[in-house]
Amino acid sequence: MRRLLLILKTDILRHLKSPLAIVIYIIIPIVMTGMIGLIFTPSSTGGELPPIQVVLVDKDKGLASRLFMGAFDADQMKKMFQVTVADEAEGRKRMEKGKASAMVVIPEHFTLDLLDLKPVTLEVVKNPAEQFLPDVVEEFMNTMAVILSGAVQAFEPEARGIRAMLDMPVDSFPWETLGPEFGKAQKKVVAASKVLNPLLLRLKDEKTKSADAKPALTRSDIFSSVLPGMAIMFLLFIVQTVMRDMISEREDGKLRRMLTTPLRPGELIGARITGGWVMGGLVLLVMAAFGTMVFRVHWGPFGWFFLLCVTAAFWSASFFALMNALIRNRNQAGALSAPIILAFSVFGGSMFNVEAMPKAFQVIGLATPNRWFIDGAAFIRDGRFPAVPLLVLAASGLVLLALAIPALKRRATV
Amino acid sequence: MRAFKRILHIAANDLRLMISDKVFFFWTLAFPILFILLFGFLYRGGDTARQKAELTVVNRDQGRWGAYFLDKVKSPDIDIKTVETEPAEYNRLLILPPDFSAKIEARKDQALAFKKREDASTAAAARVETRLFQAIARMLSELVLYGEGDLSKFLDGHAEFKDLVQVKSRFPEKTVTVVPSGMDHVIPGITIQFIMMMVMIYGGITVLEDRKKGVLARMLYSPLSTGGLFQAKLLGRWLMGMLQALILYVVGKIFFGLNLGDVGLSLLVIAVFAWAMAGLSVCVGSLCTKEDMIVGLAVLLANIFAGLGGCWWPIEVVPPAVRTAGMISPAYWAMDALHKLRFFQGDFAAIAPNLGILLGLSAVLSVLASRFFKIQD
Repeated sequence: MRRLLLILKTDILRHLKSPLAIVIYIIIPIVMTGMIGLIFTPSSTGGELPPIQVVLVDKDKGLASRLFMGAFDADQMKKMFQVTVADEAEGRKRMEKGKASAMVVIPEHFTLDLLDLKPVTLEVVKNPAEQFLPDVVEEFMNTMAVILSGAVQAFEPEARGIRAMLDMPVDSFPWETLGPEFGKAQKKVVAASKVLNPLLLRLKDEKTKSADAKPALTRSDIFSSVLPGMAIMFLLFIVQTVMRDMISEREDGKLRRMLTTPLRPGELIGARITGGWVMGGLVLLVMAAFGTMVFRVHWGPFGWFFLLCVTAAFWSASFFALMNALIRNRNQAGALSAPIILAFSVFGGSMFNVEAMPKAFQVIGLATPNRWFIDGAAFIRDGRFPAVPLLVLAASGLVLLALAIPALKRRATV
Repeated sequence: MRAFKRILHIAANDLRLMISDKVFFFWTLAFPILFILLFGFLYRGGDTARQKAELTVVNRDQGRWGAYFLDKVKSPDIDIKTVETEPAEYNRLLILPPDFSAKIEARKDQALAFKKREDASTAAAARVETRLFQAIARMLSELVLYGEGDLSKFLDGHAEFKDLVQVKSRFPEKTVTVVPSGMDHVIPGITIQFIMMMVMIYGGITVLEDRKKGVLARMLYSPLSTGGLFQAKLLGRWLMGMLQALILYVVGKIFFGLNLGDVGLSLLVIAVFAWAMAGLSVCVGSLCTKEDMIVGLAVLLANIFAGLGGCWWPIEVVPPAVRTAGMISPAYWAMDALHKLRFFQGDFAAIAPNLGILLGLSAVLSVLASRFFKIQD
């Protein structure tokens, strides 16, 4: 036991002397978590999307187009849209540069045609390189079109009057006839105001939760849900790096020389596996500490989380012990370990939200440590003891260890 | 000419060694396809937009206006389910109160309860809400048009609402004619990401191994100069990147109907980008002393570049500040050029600025790589 501890101490000190690779593997999940969190956190203004850039092309330059464009000046609209007035060529250029999601073209004679009650068509030119925002602009314009159609129909005689005014020279217009017309229009405005002020019919939005719903995510929640996935992924990378010593010592003959000393194979194997376990656990705790300090990640009760980290590190050490027993050399280890870790990470939910994945992928994910660690971390965050994830990781880790030890002993003595 | 042949020979040999690696197909084919399928599933874009949005309605109205209003809500994009009582499970719920008609006829204002589940699709909720706004706008317009008459007789005969203003949507001229598929967005992004990963990891590690095992030193016994050897290594890594791109493009074309726009110009963009990555990989391979450091650095850089550069998610959903920060990523310039070619049918002039930036970056990275390239530790 003393010898095992001595080797363990030497190994850990050796890794800590040249820690760059391990440091990089600790930095990656922190950086990735930061990036994903910054991109997908709901903004402080409450919107789920950045303001949509829209180019307005006014070919009409009349009263109606000015009123239409003025609608975008309302405070609520400003939060949703960032409008630039330009011509079509400039609009296209902006779309090509990714600076506009859509271009709204108000056609020539828009005002006159509306006053004549002729059908008019607003064009929404959508940025083909974007997938979501142009559709939002199109839907918004559909709503505007309905409102505009309604307004014109409601004030049809007035519209015709204004149209006639526009066609007549000022000196020949019968101004004296306008008085009664204004009177009629006023009555209509008063009548309309009974419908429109306040709106006779409106929606009262309410966000509700189903019985099993989770609360809305804050930035800290997003970090809290992303970091465990990233941490377990890079824990696997770190443990495989640390435990690759087992193969390199076998390959370059160090193992054989070490076994000429009173050291027993079991002690050496035990020290290596414990080394991977301890390093893995430490690294997970360092990542968790970073997460708490930098992203204010909420982990839940520390004791439970510590237990989960220790169990996940144990699973990783056991897994790579078995893998190192089964493969022949460093090249094979290098070639196989990264694909296996990445496959675990894809299916297990480190790279994608498990709930967003196809069902088949979710089922495959159950065979990965990533899935159980992520689930365990979520349980702890919710204040629940992660009994099932701990049991699965510990039991499967023990099975891997039971398979790894005899295989490694056989390898060491061959 | 002979020197070039030797350079080409060594570069081709590096490529051959890579292809003969047992996990070559995992890295270049299986893993990227897994990514393509997952990202394709997550960001189907236009494909999901066509799915119907569900709206559950509890119509308790005791008059005729409720049915009239719901008629206006009907749309091919919305699936309306009418139920008697408020259900426990729904995504979006509209409740028409018992006095809905009575209040309208009395010209009393009212707010309709519209409940949205927080965890349901926000896109579908927006579609339904927009439709409800449109229905309300139509109905209010009709009421204004009707004037001050008796509203209880409104449904027996009134002026019909006419959609005088219509909206027609289209793509810009000389661009796409059909809505691009989600895969047209996803595959170029994954290709760019895997060129970065592949070239940096494979290319970097082989430079390191050749140096550590003395292969580079032994190569200098041949008539090749150190400069020639560096060029061969650079070319070898460029070929790795091009091979990765070609594999994914062929798979994309055959299985997902990938459309790249101008294929020649797309490959030119990829070629210049792969050159930049080749320079970076020789740099990383020359500076790092351990394989794990190279893998770590490659994963770190490739993921940051891919995330910022718009390889994983539509860049339009990214906050403006992050989008600006993305310009430091070479992937951003490559993706932007590929978008111009695919979605705007761009020509050489359109992508010239992107090519200029990528070429400049390639030159800088190649100079740095040649500066740090060493034969022995």
